[in-house]
Amino acid sequence: MTGPGLYLHIPFCRSKCSYCAFNSVAAQRDTVDAYLDLLARQIEEYAALEWCGGRRFSTLFIGGGTPSLASPAKLAAIITLCRSRFSLADQAEISMEANPDTIGPELLTTLREAGLNRLSIGIQSFNNAILAGINRVHTAEQAIKAFHLARGCGLANINIDLIYGLPHQTMADWQEDLQQILALAPEHLALYELTIEPESPFGRLQAEKALVLPDEDLLADMEEATNTLLSPHYQRYEIANFCRPGRQCRHNINYWLNGSYLGLGAGAVSCLDGLRFTHESDPYRFMSAVEHKTTTIRQAECLSRTARFRESMIMGLRLIDGFNLRKLEKRLDISATEVYGPLLAELNSQGRLLRQGEMIRLAPDWLPVANQVLNTLV
Amino acid sequence: MAIHFAGQRTRRAQDLFSLTSIDLFYIDLEVVTSGPCPDTRPDSALPPRKTRPANHMKHIRNFSIIAHIDHGKSTLADRLIQRCNMVTAREFKDQLLDNMDIERERGITIKSQTICMPYRAKDGKMYTLNLVDTPGHVDFSYEVSRALKSCEGALLLIDAAQGVEAQTLANLYLAMENNLEIIPVINKIDLPSADPEMVALQIEEDLGLDMDTVQMCSAKTGQGVDEILEAIVKLLPPPQEGDAAAPLQALIFDASYDPFRGTIISVRIINGTIKPGDTIIFMSNNTSYKVEEVGLFRLRKEPQKSLQAGEVGYILAGVKTVSDTRPGDTITHKDKPCPRALPGFQEVQQVVFSSIYPISTDDYENLATAMEKLKLNDAALTFQKDASSALGFGFRCGFLGLLHLEVIQERLEREFDIPIILTVPSVCYHFFLTDGTMLEVDNPAHFPDPATIASTEEPYIKATIHMPDRYMGAVMTLCMERRGENTRYHYPMPGRIELTCELPLAEVIYDFYDRLKSVTQGYGSFDYELLDYRPSDLVKLDILVNGEKVDALSQLVHRANSRARGLHACEKLKEEIPRQMFKIAIQGAIGGTIVSRTTIAALRKDVTAKCYGGDISRKRKLLEKQKAGKKRMKIVGNVEIPQKAFLAVLKSEQS
Ligand SMILES: Nc1nc2c(ncn2[C@@H]2O[C@H](COP(=O)(O)OP(=O)(O)OP(=O)(O)O)[C@@H](O)[C@H]2O)c(=O)[nH]1
Ligand code: SF4
Ligand SMILES: [Mg+2]
Repeated sequence: MTGPGLYLHIPFCRSKCSYCAFNSVAAQRDTVDAYLDLLARQIEEYAALEWCGGRRFSTLFIGGGTPSLASPAKLAAIITLCRSRFSLADQAEISMEANPDTIGPELLTTLREAGLNRLSIGIQSFNNAILAGINRVHTAEQAIKAFHLARGCGLANINIDLIYGLPHQTMADWQEDLQQILALAPEHLALYELTIEPESPFGRLQAEKALVLPDEDLLADMEEATNTLLSPHYQRYEIANFCRPGRQCRHNINYWLNGSYLGLGAGAVSCLDGLRFTHESDPYRFMSAVEHKTTTIRQAECLSRTARFRESMIMGLRLIDGFNLRKLEKRLDISATEVYGPLLAELNSQGRLLRQGEMIRLAPDWLPVANQVLNTLV
Repeated sequence: MAIHFAGQRTRRAQDLFSLTSIDLFYIDLEVVTSGPCPDTRPDSALPPRKTRPANHMKHIRNFSIIAHIDHGKSTLADRLIQRCNMVTAREFKDQLLDNMDIERERGITIKSQTICMPYRAKDGKMYTLNLVDTPGHVDFSYEVSRALKSCEGALLLIDAAQGVEAQTLANLYLAMENNLEIIPVINKIDLPSADPEMVALQIEEDLGLDMDTVQMCSAKTGQGVDEILEAIVKLLPPPQEGDAAAPLQALIFDASYDPFRGTIISVRIINGTIKPGDTIIFMSNNTSYKVEEVGLFRLRKEPQKSLQAGEVGYILAGVKTVSDTRPGDTITHKDKPCPRALPGFQEVQQVVFSSIYPISTDDYENLATAMEKLKLNDAALTFQKDASSALGFGFRCGFLGLLHLEVIQERLEREFDIPIILTVPSVCYHFFLTDGTMLEVDNPAHFPDPATIASTEEPYIKATIHMPDRYMGAVMTLCMERRGENTRYHYPMPGRIELTCELPLAEVIYDFYDRLKSVTQGYGSFDYELLDYRPSDLVKLDILVNGEKVDALSQLVHRANSRARGLHACEKLKEEIPRQMFKIAIQGAIGGTIVSRTTIAALRKDVTAKCYGGDISRKRKLLEKQKAGKKRMKIVGNVEIPQKAFLAVLKSEQS
């Protein structure tokens, strides 16, 4: 089972990718290392708080940005620190994100020793022309090599991120990417349709109508092709996530079930029993705040039970098998009817939502157009 | 300095030390208006005000700023307001008098706005300046004509780089009809492309105005603004006639509705004096009310002990029945009435008609009250009950143009929070039937049985277009495309052309203005007047959505254009109607014949690619936006049609 998750955000990358609107800035290794020192201080600070440190965490996830940009030793020290200051479950899932160009033997062995048991590699595409078009700093060959290296170091749980719907990408391109995936056989896959974020470089290009993107029909075909090709080998368990049996990402499942999580680092969001707060997102202002021992929290809100219920619905229905509605009602002590009136029954009778015992899920044919259902539940 | 508080106390400067920062915040506002906050106090609690000197009227100047659109009226008003110390630096914002959201967003003035400013002239005397900033767009010229009724003078602004344009002339004529004294002002002399000498020549030769009175200024930098203030005092006359002791005669030139205090009535006092406690009657309907408050328009409303002949101000009299107040009506005292009502305003002629329906049928009653209140503030709007098979109950409305229509739509949504649908706009046609009767039809739903039509007429206008001569060819072509007749032109000055052309009004409301702007790269300006009715040949174009006729999308079109219009409508709807879970067929039909067709493919993909803990708020907002968008859609049959689609049918590709 999943439980509260602990998330650490590393807001630095070697350079920025064209589609990216994540909280990260381009930086060198020494900046990242300096940041990790300050992050360590924040870890100590929060671990000392009863309402944070008093919890038993099931997962630790170091995301970014590109965490692997830091020195291996610093990263290992952060994992070790979390394990000693926070109470982490025995079988805790400990993951980190890495980009192919930053993965080397030293990083892998050092982190394995510190307890890392899951690696998520941001590959995005196996086509060098497409990679160049989205301003990635690595090649397909580097990506494949990084994967084999991770395997060689004994990592038995590896995720690969890919994006489809990239500029100029054809169906054939995407199918080649999927074939490459099948050849590598990672335990987990996250396959995202490209989203144009207004604040990313692509967002600006799109505003100038200077972006050639696959149309809606091609995207839908790509999604269908993905399901057909992968279904003999992988289980699709969330709208964009696939895995080998038993290899779901527990850290993310906790998000989709709207469980509690503590996020530390620049821009990280925490949600602990309905109290949501966000840290300063600017990496340098964040560092300076920690340095000067002033608060890094920039936003906090206390969610009502109804709001939590609604959020739990729009998150939980992203899971292919859905979730246990009865348990949610119990946990939040509010019934679905109080929140939605007759809406769920209507959606059920329209065949948009499926009910099975206490479980509720989105009808499979509505998955590609999930927003059409979720926007009535928000 | 004495400072007035919302709490009706008067404090002196030394008391300030005991104030909290919140108090200080209020003081800042109060010093400026030197009056209590508008939402407070019984009138009697006000500190006494200075009484006016006997020769008060001599020191009043009532004037409007008029010009073509964008020539800088509101910006000049800003400078004048600042010179008269009406506003603190913190309160100031550009185009201060454009206080409606929609004005600020579009950067244009829609409503005339009055402000009363004290000004100490170089002669050492204090003057009261009542400034009215007016709109420049052709659709709102009725706002100008009403504003002029409260004035003795006008500043006619002309952009030093653009020169005389269509509304410069149109507004000048309006001012001359009202016998106003006119001061020509050449604005934007700071622009590198400014050519003030040339414009001065135009003023003399084209407009026939006196060169000696021409002012030059930059409303942007403030250069020349002091001279303008002096010119206002020296060249414009004070209110001419008017006797503060005569029976009250006050002209209502505008009004708005306040839920707490009732109608706020804007008046120009022609004769007599009005004060709180007086019993007044509205002469058009004889309803009587007791005056609660009178005052001046400063930045905010500022109560006064009285208003008297020559002044412009407001009256609050607890008028909650919206329809009692009518702009153009005369107010007088019940016990000492004036012999006759003032002439009032000319009826405005609505040229575009469209029906307004609430998206949710439950909103009909709310819409009815909202329309009443809006009419108070926009006398040019007319409406009557209407019904549609697709949309339920609503109102058939008359507008002065497409922009006026869009403004009404937005104001209904913003000020009254009622999502609405407007049907495809139409002009008013004449149908002569075989039985010898004539039918006026401004609603495609009332199109008579074609078998009974003997002949048809449509309204024509005379368009006056000003432009640099290099656009002549493009504009001529545009006029020809739009069935223009009797095109004439002349050169008012080298390089510029004034072209007149007789056009069917229907062609003008069909995106003519947008097209003109685009073919002249923004340099063409346009004014028009209604001419007459001329023979036409009309058919009704129906739109079918998934086989179902949507009456709100029907339009009457000239037979020669019908196919092209049918195609255009289908294409536009295809752009505006979002993909839905099934395929949607859109057809244009005339009589029983399908003339055009498009299909909207079924929605296949609409899902947020990634969503984890940290970005839930953002992703939730996306869904909430979608949800809100749905509220702005009308479900016809099983198809959701967005609000925008109904008007889009009349718009061109570019707009
Ligand atoms: N350079 C320059 N720009 C000016 C000057 N006066 C106004 N403008 C600009 O011209 C534009 C239009 O100004 P407004 O004051 O809104 O014009 P307006 O006549 O009130 O326009 P409408 O109310 O829509 O008819 C704005 O962008 C102003 O900043 C000036 O003296 N010099
Ligand atoms: S590596 Fe990841 S976080 Fe960094 S810029 Fe690229 S997409 Fe964004
Ligand atoms: Mg203006």
